[in-house]
Amino acid sequence: MALSKDIYKAFEDVVGAENICDDPVIMPAYHSAELGAVILPKNTAEVQAIVKLCNKYKLQFRAVCTGWTGMFPKGIIYLDMRRMNHIVEINEKNMYAVVEPYVISAQLQAELMKRGLHLNMKGAGANCSAMLRGHGHLDQTTSGDDRNQLAIEWVTPEGDIVRLGSLGSSDEWFCGDGPGPSLRSLINSAVPPGVTPGVFTKSAVKLYHWPGPPSFPIEGESPLYTMSEIPANMMVRYFSFPSVEKMWEAELKIGESEISFELMGFNVSMVAANITTSNEEETEVFERLNKAVQGPGFMVIIAGNSPEDFEYKKRVLQQIVSDADGKSLEAVEDPRIEGILLCQCIRISASIRETFRNGGAFNSIPIMGQRDLTIKWAIGAGKAKEPLIEKGLIVDDGGAFFGWGVEQGHLGKTEIFCKFDPSNLEAKAAVEGWQKEQSTRAFKERYFANLLMGQTEEIGPALSNYHLWWQKFTEAIDPNGVSPGGGALV
Amino acid sequence: MALEDYRGDMEMCCRCSACKFIPMQRVKGLQYANVCPSIAKYNYHAYSGGGRLNIAAAMLKNGFNYTDKLLDIVYNCQMCGACGVSCNYAMDMEVLEPINEFRLKCVEDGQTNPALEKVINSLRKQGTMITGARGKRGDWAAGLNLKDATKEKVDVLYHAGCLTSYDKDMQKLAKATVKILQKAGVNFGIAGNAETCCGGRAYQMGYKEDFLNQAKKNMAMIKKAGIKTVVTGCADGYQAFKVLYDKYDLKGDLEVLHISEYIDKLIKDGKLKPRKKVDISVTYHDPCRLGRLGEPWIHWEGKKVPGDRFVFDPPKVYRRGTHGVYEPPRDVLKSIPGIKLTEMTRIKEYSWCCGAGGGVNESNPGFAKWTAQERIEEAGSTGAEAIVTACPWCEKNFSETIKESGGSLKVYDIVELVEKAI
Ligand SMILES: Cc1cc2nc3c(=O)[nH]c(=O)nc-3n(C[C@H](O)[C@H](O)[C@H](O)COP(=O)(O)OP(=O)(O)OC[C@H]3O[C@@H](n4cnc5c(N)ncnc54)[C@H](O)[C@@H]3O)c2cc1C
Ligand code: SF4
Ligand code: SF4
Repeated sequence: MALSKDIYKAFEDVVGAENICDDPVIMPAYHSAELGAVILPKNTAEVQAIVKLCNKYKLQFRAVCTGWTGMFPKGIIYLDMRRMNHIVEINEKNMYAVVEPYVISAQLQAELMKRGLHLNMKGAGANCSAMLRGHGHLDQTTSGDDRNQLAIEWVTPEGDIVRLGSLGSSDEWFCGDGPGPSLRSLINSAVPPGVTPGVFTKSAVKLYHWPGPPSFPIEGESPLYTMSEIPANMMVRYFSFPSVEKMWEAELKIGESEISFELMGFNVSMVAANITTSNEEETEVFERLNKAVQGPGFMVIIAGNSPEDFEYKKRVLQQIVSDADGKSLEAVEDPRIEGILLCQCIRISASIRETFRNGGAFNSIPIMGQRDLTIKWAIGAGKAKEPLIEKGLIVDDGGAFFGWGVEQGHLGKTEIFCKFDPSNLEAKAAVEGWQKEQSTRAFKERYFANLLMGQTEEIGPALSNYHLWWQKFTEAIDPNGVSPGGGALV
Repeated sequence: MALEDYRGDMEMCCRCSACKFIPMQRVKGLQYANVCPSIAKYNYHAYSGGGRLNIAAAMLKNGFNYTDKLLDIVYNCQMCGACGVSCNYAMDMEVLEPINEFRLKCVEDGQTNPALEKVINSLRKQGTMITGARGKRGDWAAGLNLKDATKEKVDVLYHAGCLTSYDKDMQKLAKATVKILQKAGVNFGIAGNAETCCGGRAYQMGYKEDFLNQAKKNMAMIKKAGIKTVVTGCADGYQAFKVLYDKYDLKGDLEVLHISEYIDKLIKDGKLKPRKKVDISVTYHDPCRLGRLGEPWIHWEGKKVPGDRFVFDPPKVYRRGTHGVYEPPRDVLKSIPGIKLTEMTRIKEYSWCCGAGGGVNESNPGFAKWTAQERIEEAGSTGAEAIVTACPWCEKNFSETIKESGGSLKVYDIVELVEKAI
């Protein structure tokens, strides 16, 4: 859906001829969507000017960072944020970093490690935007999601620049809630339609202490990277448990005792994906590991701030695991495997292998809630995968789920997915059927499955009619309806 | 294999953007995280490895619609293969092969680039990729009294390559090589005026037939002369003889070595001793076609096993850039007294291209230099006085870029430093 010459020219005047393109030939690279145009703004002023033009010409727009996933209505203006890729500030004293949208997490993390700092990176991986919120492997210790986003610079759907949190009253980025306006609930919509209207142009990310080395001592050649030495104050283990209750008991105690650096409720299928370098090898390793575990499990990374602290944490871990009848997976005790997991799970490049390598696609149901209950729901969803596995429609991962606790507590994220070959239409239909059925079951059993697109009317009444408020909000801030919902930040 | 044969690979692309960056574990900061010159310069996702696959897959499905923009995308790619390495860190799928097939198809369909056409015309007429080449190919060896490998029995054929043979500024590399081989007492020869282009750069540009012609000519000469070992002076030549000839079943049992590998062997066998001190701090640039694309070809034919995952019968072993020539040039540099070697951020399989490959040097010199400039800055950031490479095309592109930008970094081919040390 091409733009008229005049409108195209108006956008071109803002960003320059090189930074706007509506040639249909590039569209397959942009989710095969029929976009109005792809525009590459360079700074907040350009974003603002583009948004104002969108309002003037009643054109819908959506901002996108790496654009791993996405749905784009016909004719929409795609703001590819690639050129906004600067780290504005790393404030070591106040422990925050201010970034533009297209700084990827791997870049920010590497800069931070040099300074003894770290961030909560979303589990999707280091290849994604460091600025956009999400849940990740460090959630147990750092919390996830919007807790890690501090002040934000936001171009509203009408093109006003709003500075949220402490930025609203000063030039300081340290707080998302004030002094100054906190519109956290509005800009971080965790519930459907799940996307913030307008464009984030800068955001402060909360930082944490990094107990590891300033850079990872990696050796080997791709895809066989491991660590040349395991830092003396770090350890990775995978424990399996005889029951969900026992696993949950251990997970909670680890949270309460604050000993873990990272607790990631991987299943062994994900461990296998991470430590292998091909699909064939992964199948074989999964079968071996699956025999070695006694039930559900998780991976823990312990990092000591001193030799004494490290010893203490290891001893506490041992006690907790033994109280819960946990068993360490021997394969992970091998320093080579330990090294691979440290690379994969701290520098987080795990998710591509875990999801896409096998068949090329995966459909997932993530749910938030009390971990032991959501895990039980996920076991049901795993059982429902069995007929699909038997028919060879989806990858046999033992029906497994994964997830992690958030903020050392009871709450957490539990997720289960089916991996399949999307060119197999029977498999695709079966997986979509499974996803619908199990999401509906989750909702009926009062779990919050936050990717239930299009069910706002159903979910709304269960959540204080938030959907009606949401509608009022968006009408107020987006009177021209140029910033549509329908994407997802998580 | 044709583009259609990679349909499954292209459809596997999950659009994760990993192919724009060096593997995540290797990212050392904000700077030098990019690995693909094309997306780094042109920004639209279409210019990335993944974007190229998305477009090619869509065209296979919906028909080929050649527009100026499409050709701009196709030809502004150094065919450096970095995207494939980063992708294959996580995924089992071919990336560079379909990108390459797409370019071959463009040329086959007559959708060529005028600057590249000019180069290919020169190849067809004069057997060289150097347009307007003057003199004869073997002129550089005048007065050196070298053996003619097409007539005399030699252990090694030294293939100098087009740029080194014809470019007056680059002939020093051939002369340095000769000195080194003579010093080590190697029974070697050259083909002189009978040498012809390896065809590798024509292949990168998309001209498969011209490449095959050159390959056949070279192999016929080699067979006739009974040559068992070829040592190439440039990385393009190395990849052509070693990998591409093998890919098209033309290589036979010919042993192919790059000069850096051969010197390394001579040093390790005690036949060559770099004794003189060369006081200089350097950093080493891995040429794409000696490094990740110099990995041996793996012959494979098979079918996807029907079912839930992307596995094949027989199992497919991917070329992930791991088995390129990485250590020999480094070992050679380390063996020279006085040289201090410091590594850049992007090295070995995830090295940043010099910019001169894939025809970009000829079709878009500005982009080639832009790419070189980024590497020059990265080299400078190590504190090194010089960047050392192992390919004349890299050296030329770096030197010209430094000359234009007024930088002070020195540029050497590895043979120049060895020559100083013996
Ligand atoms: C395999 C896989 C695993 C994943 N695992 C996790 C996980 O563990 N935890 C998790 O939290 N998420 C997870 N996700 C979701 C993931 O975070 C998103 O897919 C996201 O796309 C990642 O890329 P990005 O950060 O570059 O964002 P993008 O894909 O670029 O954008 C994501 C959304 O944010 C909007 N957006 C982008 N930039 C802006 C901006 N500047 N202003 C306003 N809106 C903007 C986009 O329109 C889009 O709707 C996973 C996704 C995949 C495919
Ligand atoms: S080519 Fe590979 S790395 Fe690039 S987007 Fe596609 S799957 Fe990801
Ligand atoms: S071959 Fe090189 S230039 Fe071309 S898309 Fe891949 S990484 Fe980019």
